[in-house]
Amino acid sequence: MKKKSWIFGLLLIALVVIIPLALFAFPRDRASSPDPWDFLPEHPTHTDHSNIIEGPFETPQQVTQACLECHEEAASEVMHTTHWTWQSQPFDVPWRDEPVTIGKFNQINNFCISTAGNESKCMTCHIGYAWDQYPPKGYDFSVAENVDCLVCHADKATYAKGGYGNPADSVDLLAAARSVGVPTRDNCGGCHFNGGGGNGVKHGDLDESLYRPDEQLDVHMGKFDFLCTDCHRTSDHQIKGRLLGDNYTIDPAEQVQCTDCHVAPPHEDERLNAHLASVACQTCHIPAMARKNPTKTFWDWSQAGEDRGDDHYTYLKIKGEFIYERDVTPAYLWFNGNNEYRYLVGDPINADGPTYINKPAGSIDDPNAKIFPFKIMETIQPYDPVNGYLLTPITAGEGGYWHDFDWDKAFRLAEERLGLPYSGQYDWTETRMYYPESHMIAPAAEALQCNDCHGPEGRMDWEALGYPGDPVDWGARTPTP
Amino acid sequence: MQRKRKPLLIALILMIASAALGVGLARARHAAQPQSQPGSRLHPAFALLDINGQNVLQSGAPLSTMQTCGQCHDTDFIASHSFHTDLGLSDYQPGTGLDASPGAFGKWDPLTYRYLSQPGDERLDLGTPEWLMTVGLRHVGGGPAATARDGSALEALPPDAANPETAILNPDGSTQAWDWQQSGTIEMNCFLCHTANPDNEARTAAIQNGDFAWANTATLLSTGVVQQHGEELVWNPAAFDENGQLQKDYIFVQDPTNENCGLCHGVVDTHNDALVISDLSLHNPQTATTGQVISPQKIAESGMNIQGKDDLARSWDIHAERQLACTDCHFSLNNPAYAVRGNQPSHLLFDPRRLDTGEYLLRPDHNFARGQSAQYNLAPELKGTMRRCESCHDAATSHAGWLPYLERHMDEVACESCHIPQMYAPAIEAYDWTALTADGQPLKVYRGIAGGRGDVDTVTTLVTGFQPVLLPRQNIDGDTLLAPYNLITTWYWVYQDANGNTRPVRLADLDAAWFEGESYAPEVLAAFDNNGDNALDENELRLDSEAKQQVIAARLEALGLANVHIEGRVQPYSINHNVTEGQWAVRECTACHGANSRLSASIETAPYAPAGVQPEFAPSNVEYQGNLHINADGALVYTPNLQAEGLYVFGHSRLAWLDWLGALIFLGTLLAILAHSTLRYLASRKQTAHHGETQKVYMYSAYERLWHWLQVVAIVFLLLTGLVIHRPDLFGAFSFRNMVLVHNVLAAIMVLNAALALFYHLASGEIKGYIPRPRGFFDQAIVQARYYLGGIFRGEPHPFEKTPQRKFNPLQQITYFGLLNVLLPLQVITGALMWGAQRWTSVAEALGGLPWLAPFHSLIAWLLGTFIVAHVYLTTTAGPTVFSAIQAMIDGWEEVEL
Repeated sequence: MKKKSWIFGLLLIALVVIIPLALFAFPRDRASSPDPWDFLPEHPTHTDHSNIIEGPFETPQQVTQACLECHEEAASEVMHTTHWTWQSQPFDVPWRDEPVTIGKFNQINNFCISTAGNESKCMTCHIGYAWDQYPPKGYDFSVAENVDCLVCHADKATYAKGGYGNPADSVDLLAAARSVGVPTRDNCGGCHFNGGGGNGVKHGDLDESLYRPDEQLDVHMGKFDFLCTDCHRTSDHQIKGRLLGDNYTIDPAEQVQCTDCHVAPPHEDERLNAHLASVACQTCHIPAMARKNPTKTFWDWSQAGEDRGDDHYTYLKIKGEFIYERDVTPAYLWFNGNNEYRYLVGDPINADGPTYINKPAGSIDDPNAKIFPFKIMETIQPYDPVNGYLLTPITAGEGGYWHDFDWDKAFRLAEERLGLPYSGQYDWTETRMYYPESHMIAPAAEALQCNDCHGPEGRMDWEALGYPGDPVDWGARTPTP
Repeated sequence: MQRKRKPLLIALILMIASAALGVGLARARHAAQPQSQPGSRLHPAFALLDINGQNVLQSGAPLSTMQTCGQCHDTDFIASHSFHTDLGLSDYQPGTGLDASPGAFGKWDPLTYRYLSQPGDERLDLGTPEWLMTVGLRHVGGGPAATARDGSALEALPPDAANPETAILNPDGSTQAWDWQQSGTIEMNCFLCHTANPDNEARTAAIQNGDFAWANTATLLSTGVVQQHGEELVWNPAAFDENGQLQKDYIFVQDPTNENCGLCHGVVDTHNDALVISDLSLHNPQTATTGQVISPQKIAESGMNIQGKDDLARSWDIHAERQLACTDCHFSLNNPAYAVRGNQPSHLLFDPRRLDTGEYLLRPDHNFARGQSAQYNLAPELKGTMRRCESCHDAATSHAGWLPYLERHMDEVACESCHIPQMYAPAIEAYDWTALTADGQPLKVYRGIAGGRGDVDTVTTLVTGFQPVLLPRQNIDGDTLLAPYNLITTWYWVYQDANGNTRPVRLADLDAAWFEGESYAPEVLAAFDNNGDNALDENELRLDSEAKQQVIAARLEALGLANVHIEGRVQPYSINHNVTEGQWAVRECTACHGANSRLSASIETAPYAPAGVQPEFAPSNVEYQGNLHINADGALVYTPNLQAEGLYVFGHSRLAWLDWLGALIFLGTLLAILAHSTLRYLASRKQTAHHGETQKVYMYSAYERLWHWLQVVAIVFLLLTGLVIHRPDLFGAFSFRNMVLVHNVLAAIMVLNAALALFYHLASGEIKGYIPRPRGFFDQAIVQARYYLGGIFRGEPHPFEKTPQRKFNPLQQITYFGLLNVLLPLQVITGALMWGAQRWTSVAEALGGLPWLAPFHSLIAWLLGTFIVAHVYLTTTAGPTVFSAIQAMIDGWEEVEL
């Protein structure tokens, strides 16, 4: 014991030296901020299905049945998602007496207007099969074997959808089924990058350039190789993230937020962090929309039907006139995550100006609202001047406008199929939709800086936002939330 | 949220401007680019009056700003309270030297070269009219453009070719009288600074034509108020209402914007287009002399070919980016929103008695707050009136947690030194007016751009930028701070005129010396054209030989110039703009605390010195303690001398001789030990092992061992970390910052440990062992020394018995006495003062400051290091076996000879 006492002495000396050093070298306030990587989901190890699935498959429904042999709950999970139902649960809106639902299934937008009645084309992007087996608005959402597992899980090199949600004729179902795995950008992008009827048409922040983006276009996917599902996290086939245009209000818990991973305060500069109370991350970090591929910003259906010679970006006989724009500066609005209004089929149009298909909610007085970037879609589309509401033409298929170029016929067909009364007269009116921008986050160095918004060359219309003037001089909104 | 509110007027102006911006935004998706309308709708409608107070619409005469704006504002007050107007006129003093005033009117500027002739000068260079047409293009009018040097009106002077105020030099070299009555004069030009789109080109053209009276009117050409009809400027009746007042749409009065200032001062670009500097001439003086660019843009977005710009996501100027205007810092001195009132009673934090907006607008002081830049003599009474960095920024907060020794850094280094780490635009390095290029220009050298000769192009040539040189700047409060500068060298010929005054050789005379007609004189060509191509390139033109110099000197003398010789001048240009935020600032300790410290980084001030002339430093508030020398390549280089500047920079500064001395002592001791131990070893092999009788004695108590070993750890690591701090260039693996931290903490542990041990020794009486006994001390010491030098090799027993009561022999006693009473305390005191230099500045300064304390600390460190090796070696001699003493210090029990 006595022999070894020097060891205690050595330990004591070590402590006397190390403790003060540690105290000074690691000041208390240097609590490490959480690392965004800690919040990313882990990808499951890929299970190669090529030896598991045997086939042969005559129908796509047989594939689904094969999937369900092991993944027993999969179909019922999927059937509870809006990817399947294409409409919300019923809820109340102030301007209707009855509860309503909103979704692609029953409502309209200002691109191709209505999926209902146009199932042959539109259902190419629905995750169900066999829309040709049911009348319009009569699809049976309870048939589990109609769930299309392959469109999300098969290698996109092996699978594509054709009319009425069915696989394209050339698809080798067995090969497709054997290729399944975690959904890739190609699976999600197949529909979401082509929303509105083509590459980049709808969103401004989602287009085919995101299949293989560079860092400048999308820092998450380009630099860090994210999959869609890294942010749009999924449990039981419920995928986080909601599109404003297809909703009225959105539960924040269902939405993807930057702060899911980027825990505040994100900037070294106190002045920048002060912006967080009133400015969404996206506002500065998406300096422009459609930075690579152009997006459609204007569509005039009234010009359709002429033999001017088709050009993808300016005129198509079946669709009318368009404007595509690239590198577009977004519009900036106060936004609290919800819509103030969502047009429902049968709602009266606005006689004094454009009709809003959706209108984001929020104002300078709303403490939950932040200035947010939007793509605005302006469209001239048909309405019924007698009934005063927007019309939903049948475009695809026999008797549709794209077939016969007869608007009157298209509306009559719609009345017959969908039940929306048509007075026999139609005219054109301007509508608007607002698409919040959240993708295509640029690298930090590309983010907007002070002078991009403030000062004489600034892009913000401060008075339209409700400020007395540029807040650099006039101060932030008061009281700040 | 608490915010300072600007005064009502500015607020209203901004509100209205914003309202204007909002126009045309009916469709929100087009909100991207608000259209801007010029000016303020708050400013009331007004009539344009001529010099007689008559409406210009009736008289057709040029407008008078003094009359027009004087309808409401006190224009006499404004014009008489403006250095921009005066430019040194009121201080004009003719003399024998080159400078006649502190301002552009009278001060010799070798860059622009043309010299404002003084009364009685032998040769006329610039008369006042031609001064206006050259230098005066960037003068706002009034002052020397309207007033003679004696204070009378220029128009009252009779035309006289012999008077430089009323004469102009003809191209043929003759002089001609100037009729001010005919040309008119230029009033202070309110519109140049207070309208959104002043027509500076038209104004400049009018001045160059000598149409002085119309210069201010021409400024309005771009507004449509006045129109060009042939040679004439004609007022546009459509711009006026029935009362003769300007229509609403033509009212355009505004606060000066950065663009307004940029018209005369340098490159300003607040737009979103890609910035390109197309003109690096003195039309953009601030940019040309320093590389400063006022723009909120990211450098990465520049249209220029800037090296590595892709990574430069910083703006050119953080203040421009954050929407500060020039006028926010360089404000009107009586602007109630900004005014700083000196000499307040100490009990008052804020004096509410100040001008209200109306009073201010009646008599706004047009002297603007300024800093303490190197253009030291300019408007000296305004020096330091500006708010500086520290007036707005709290450095203690923003640097908290990462910059140690904050006060010390702030006391020695200006904010700009770290926050303007690099200039990204080129700047002038040298103008050599001793030679003329074929187009009559000097030999120009730019820094910060590849090649850097002649007319540089920032788009096609690689712009490398440059690091400013840091020079000690004396502030008016007496403090001296290292601040960033560009140094520009100029060379030019001077002569002695008939009055014995030194004057620069006129451009006209220089021209005559170099050229005959359109081409170089044959004599010049013969002397300079080395490659015989009948043209002279930049290299051939240099006066790099006695022969070349004499050819030109002789030709100048042939023109009648006496005592012709070359003078050179180095002028510092202060760099205070293009500040960047912390992320881009100098943050690495070793950028300064290292072998290649940027604090002492040299700057080339010219690639050559014509005729080997050593230039003089222009007098300024910069201290030139460094060394201006011509290096092996013939380039003129300035190297700062930190020691002479009174700075000791850890990790960079050191006294080489002292380190050599310390190292010699250390190595000498090592050698001695090596020799001694070798002898011991050899001796021990010859002898039979000496086994005297020994016994175990409990020599060291637990506490004694504890404090000893703690001190060992502390001192060894203090020496090691100290070495890294002293020579970070040799120990790149260690973080300088952490080494300093560890060193300080260990020092505190060491001092505490020493204090506790002292207490223990005093309280226990153990101290007695350390005190040499005076009686017989020297004899005993000699006995001990003899043992080390002789007896030890013969295996003799130790002369003094080691007991717990008397552990030390006499030599140890004297060594420890010196160590503990002299070396250690000195090391602690010097160290503490170095650490505390920012807290107890006066004490540290009284002891010579860091330049004395730090080398002293280093020397003692060498001695302590030496002590440790000697001490360790001597322990091996203390006991019966080599390790018995060390063993005793570990477990307390020592084997001692009986």
